[in-house]
Amino acid sequence: MPKSVATRRYIRRFAVAMIAYIALILIVSTCFHRLHPMGPFAYLLAVLPALAIIGMIVTVGLYLAEEKDEFQRNLFVQSMLWGLGGVLAVTSVWGMLESFTPIPHFEPTWTFSLFWIFVGISSPFLQKRYR
Amino acid sequence: MKNRLRILRAERGWSQADLAERLEVSRQSVNAVETGKFDPSLPLAFKLARLFSTTIEAIFTDEP
Repeated sequence: MPKSVATRRYIRRFAVAMIAYIALILIVSTCFHRLHPMGPFAYLLAVLPALAIIGMIVTVGLYLAEEKDEFQRNLFVQSMLWGLGGVLAVTSVWGMLESFTPIPHFEPTWTFSLFWIFVGISSPFLQKRYR
Repeated sequence: MKNRLRILRAERGWSQADLAERLEVSRQSVNAVETGKFDPSLPLAFKLARLFSTTIEAIFTDEP
């Protein structure tokens, strides 16, 4: 099935943001490992990969604004809601476990990846439902 | 919501893909509306009505 203009733009923008994220993670890790930055520069450097993540979030917003096919938009929103629900459920359960048991700490940086894992799991089921 | 899309489409000899192209949506969207799994917005319902030269009420019914 041919992809809409909005979908093609979304894939392209998301890929760019993803590549930027990987590149920034590598650059920032190397900088911290070799240069040991201090003070405000260290904070600025540490935040850089998160900017690429924010870029991915903006990409999602742009897709929703640009997609003219309301059904495809609806499907996309449904998968996002599954992602959001999954993340909230897992982090809530994990948080309670962390409060009362010696379970390892859940790093908040994993939240974004976890969100997309739930989105990825829900998407094929949603597609199948409306096939 | 029940609808007469399949009949209207068949009268013109259009496939779901043909209708999707005319509406500028995906074939999956046409299928979802046709099978009653997805209720279209008013703008899309008007577009359908215009395409089939009829009224929205002649295509869709909210009766069970």
